[in-house]
Amino acid sequence: MIRTAGRRTSSLADSTYAGTVPEVLTWLRRHPWQADGLLALLLVVISSGQWQGHYRVGIAVVSVLLAATVVPRRRYPVAAFAVAIVIGAIQVAVGVQPAGGSSIPDLGLPASPSLQPTMADTAILILLYTVAAYRPRRISLIGLAACLAGSAAAIARWAPAHGAHPGGPLFAAAAGLGGAALTAWVLGDSVAYRYRRAYYASLEERAARLEAERDAQARIAQAAERARELQERRARVIDESAARLRRIERDLHDGAQVRLAALAMMLGEIKESLDAATPTAEGGADASVGGGAGSGAAQGVDESARTRMLVAAAHRNAKETVAELRDLARGIHPPVLDRGLGAALAALAETSLVPVGLEVSIAERPSPAIEAMAYFCAAELLANVAKHSGAGRATVSVREHDGRILMTVTDDGSGGAHLAPDGGLAGLLERVQTVDGRLSIDSPSGGPTAIAIELPGRA
Amino acid sequence: MSAQLRIVIAEDAAIMRDGLTQTLTRRGHDVVAAVADAVSLRQAVDAHLPDVAIIDVRMPPTHTDEGLRAAQSIHADHPEVGVLVFSQYIETQSAAELFAGAPAGVGYLLKDRVADVSDFIEAISRVAHGGTVLDPEVVRHLLRASRQADSLAMLTPREREVLSLIAQGRSNTAIADALVISPRVVEKHVASIFAKLGLAPSDNDNRRVIAAIKYLES
Repeated sequence: MIRTAGRRTSSLADSTYAGTVPEVLTWLRRHPWQADGLLALLLVVISSGQWQGHYRVGIAVVSVLLAATVVPRRRYPVAAFAVAIVIGAIQVAVGVQPAGGSSIPDLGLPASPSLQPTMADTAILILLYTVAAYRPRRISLIGLAACLAGSAAAIARWAPAHGAHPGGPLFAAAAGLGGAALTAWVLGDSVAYRYRRAYYASLEERAARLEAERDAQARIAQAAERARELQERRARVIDESAARLRRIERDLHDGAQVRLAALAMMLGEIKESLDAATPTAEGGADASVGGGAGSGAAQGVDESARTRMLVAAAHRNAKETVAELRDLARGIHPPVLDRGLGAALAALAETSLVPVGLEVSIAERPSPAIEAMAYFCAAELLANVAKHSGAGRATVSVREHDGRILMTVTDDGSGGAHLAPDGGLAGLLERVQTVDGRLSIDSPSGGPTAIAIELPGRA
Repeated sequence: MSAQLRIVIAEDAAIMRDGLTQTLTRRGHDVVAAVADAVSLRQAVDAHLPDVAIIDVRMPPTHTDEGLRAAQSIHADHPEVGVLVFSQYIETQSAAELFAGAPAGVGYLLKDRVADVSDFIEAISRVAHGGTVLDPEVVRHLLRASRQADSLAMLTPREREVLSLIAQGRSNTAIADALVISPRVVEKHVASIFAKLGLAPSDNDNRRVIAAIKYLES
C-alpha cells in the first residue's frame, strides 16, 4: 500500500514536471511576440532597481525604451539592434561621466544623468545575439564590432571618472563587457550555424529527393512508352494474324476447294459416262450367261465393273473431301464475317442446335480481328449451351458501349458454368485477354446462365 | 429437260469455269458467255439474254457477295432469265435475300453439287424453265431454325422429308422417284402436310415451294 502510494506521488510529480515545462516552452515558441514581450518586461524589472535619485523618472523612461527594443527583435533584428545601439551610444556620450585624462576626447556635451547606463542595456546583447542568429555573419560581425567599440568607449569614459587605474578592475570591466558581447555573438552565431547546417542538409535532401523523383518519373515514362509500343505491336500482330487467316481461307477457296470441286465434277462425268456406256451389273451378267460368251468377255465385264466401282469411290471421296475442306476453311475464317458481325452471328444462330434469339446493335463495325474473336467466342458459347446446359433456348446480344463491344450469351439451362483449368471458358478468357477483353460468368446452379464478353473496338 | 439451253457462266476460278463450260457443252447446251466478274456478267446477260445464268457468289473485286447482288439485279431487270447462284458456303440469309419477292427462276446451290453432274444440270434446267431450286442444306437449316418448330413436330418423319423436297423445288414425280414411293402416296403426304401446316393447297410447283419456304422462314 505504502509503496504504491509513494510511487503514485512521485509519478504525479514527474508528470507535472514533464507536462508543464515543455508546454510553456511550446507556448513560447508558438507565440514569439508574447515571449519577447515577457523578455522586455524582465529587462524592465531587473533594471527597475536602478531607478533612484533625482533622475529616476528619466532613467526609467530610457530603461523602458531600451527594453522595448527586444520586442520586435525577431521580425526586425537589425533595425531593433540599430535603435538599441544608438541609445547605447547616446548613453556613453552623455550619460557616462567623463573624466579628466581620458583618452576619449571630451565631447563637451552637457552631462545628462537621466541617460546613465542601466541593466536594460542587456537588450543590446540580446539583440546582438538575435542578429547573429537570424542574419548573415557579415552583418552580425558589424554588430559585434559596434558592441566591442561601444564597450571600449564606455570603459574609456567611465573608468577614469571612477578613479580606476589601468590594471585589474579596468581589465575586468573590459573583459566583462567585451566578453559578454562576444559570448552573445558566439551563441547567436552557433544557433545560425545549426540552422544553416540543417537548412543545407534539408536542401541536399530535397535535391536528392527531386532527383530520385525525376529518375522514377523517367522510368515510369519509359515503361509507359514501352507499354504503348508493346500494345501497338500486339494490335498489329493480332490484326495481321486475322488478315492472314482470311487470306488462307481465300486461297483455299480460290485454290484447293475449287480444284477439288472441279475434280469431283470430272469424276462425276466419268462415272456417269461409264454408267451410260456399260450395261448395268445385272445386264452384264445376263449378257454373259445368255450370249454364252467366253471368259474374255466376262473378264472385260469384271474389269469395267471394277473401274466403275473405283470411280464411284473416288467420286464419293472427292465430294466428302470438298465438304471436309469447306468445314476446315470455315473454321479458319468464316467468309460470312466479311459481311459483318451481325450476318455472321445470324449464320451461326441458324446452325445452332438450340434455337437462338439474336439481337445485334452496333453502329460502327469493329476491326476484323475483333469481329472474328467475337464470332468464335459466340460459336464456342453456343456449342457449350447445346452440349452442357440442356437449355431450350439461348440468346445472343451484342451492343456497343464507349467504343467497346459487349456480347452476352444467355440460356435458360441448368447453370453451373464455371472457369475450369483447360476448360472451354478458360480458353475463351485467354483469347479475349489477348486484346484486354473481359469475360464474366453468371451461372448459378439451376440456371439461367449469362456469359458476358467485353472486347475493345479494335485490338 | 434435254432441250438446249443458252447459258452464261460467271465464275472467277478458271478451272471451274472451263470445266462447267465443257461439261455443259458436251451435254448439248450452248454456253454463250463465260466470264470472271460481276460487271462482265451483267454485260453478257444484257447482250445475250440467256435462259439461265450460273453465278458464283464470291467474285472480284471484294470476293464477298458480288455474285449475289448481280443475281438479284439480273432477276429484277430480266425476270425471264433464270439465275442459279452457287456458293462454296451455304448461308440461309443469302438464300432468304435471293428468294425474297418472286423466286420463280431462282436457284441457290452449294458448289459441291456440280459433282453430281446430271442432278446439277437438271437443277439448271429447272431454273431456266422458271422453277425454283433450293439446296437441301438450306432447307435443313430452315427446318431446324424455323420458329414453327411446334407445328413441324406434328409432321411424321416421312412428311418432313417430303416437305424438305418440296422446299427444294421438286415436283411430286421427282419426290416419288427420290423416296422410291408411288406418286399417289406423295400426293397424300403433300395434302396432309399442307393441311397440318395450314397452307393453301396448290398444284403449281413454284407456288408450293414459295409456300413451303415462307412457312419455314417464318
